[in-house]
Amino acid sequence: MHLHKYEKIWLTFGIGSLVVFLFVVGYGAFWQGTHPQSHGVTIDPNNIESNEAFKPENLGLTKVDENEYIVNITASAFYYDLGKDEEGKSVRTIRIPKGSKVLWQAATKDVVHGFQVAGTNVNMMVEPGYVSSLETVMDNPGTYTIVCNEYCGIGHHMMYATVEVYE
Amino acid sequence: MRIQEDKKASEKDKPDLKGTFVSVMLLGVFIIITWVGAFALFISR
Ligand SMILES: [Cu+2]
Repeated sequence: MHLHKYEKIWLTFGIGSLVVFLFVVGYGAFWQGTHPQSHGVTIDPNNIESNEAFKPENLGLTKVDENEYIVNITASAFYYDLGKDEEGKSVRTIRIPKGSKVLWQAATKDVVHGFQVAGTNVNMMVEPGYVSSLETVMDNPGTYTIVCNEYCGIGHHMMYATVEVYE
Repeated sequence: MRIQEDKKASEKDKPDLKGTFVSVMLLGVFIIITWVGAFALFISR
């Protein structure tokens, strides 16, 4: 088969780019743990409290180790349940020290919701019957808004909370 | 004499791919820049 000189150049360039791309994506997936936010972990959507993580007392921020946290969130129309503070008030703001490793776990009681910590890579779909989870390191200090980015009904825009990453 | 003429003719038949080459490379570079941009955003956040 005869190939034009230019064809050889762009085929080499194209195949080379593909190899580099697949290597980067493969490295992320197999060595760095990049994966979809739902791992196929199921939950009874009518009784999400049957899962230890979504019992009312386990919602919100939990410190598991030095610089290691778990945040459990129950999403429902049109509210993120982040548990209660010592005074029994609903938590609306979560404060996390900079550089912490955080495991976010979310489940929904009703319809599909979104869970996005705007400005970070924490962005998941929360589907009935599944547990969505994502682990990140909160490296950049600042105030972030948790927003629902899946239209869930008339009060969709009122569904938010706040995350503060402090130094 | 005849052979030379044939050679000339076959060179003329070769397609001119310069424009194609430039546009393919420009498209390739565009795709790479946009992909690297999105990937850098993912890494930095
Ligand atoms: Cu919504």
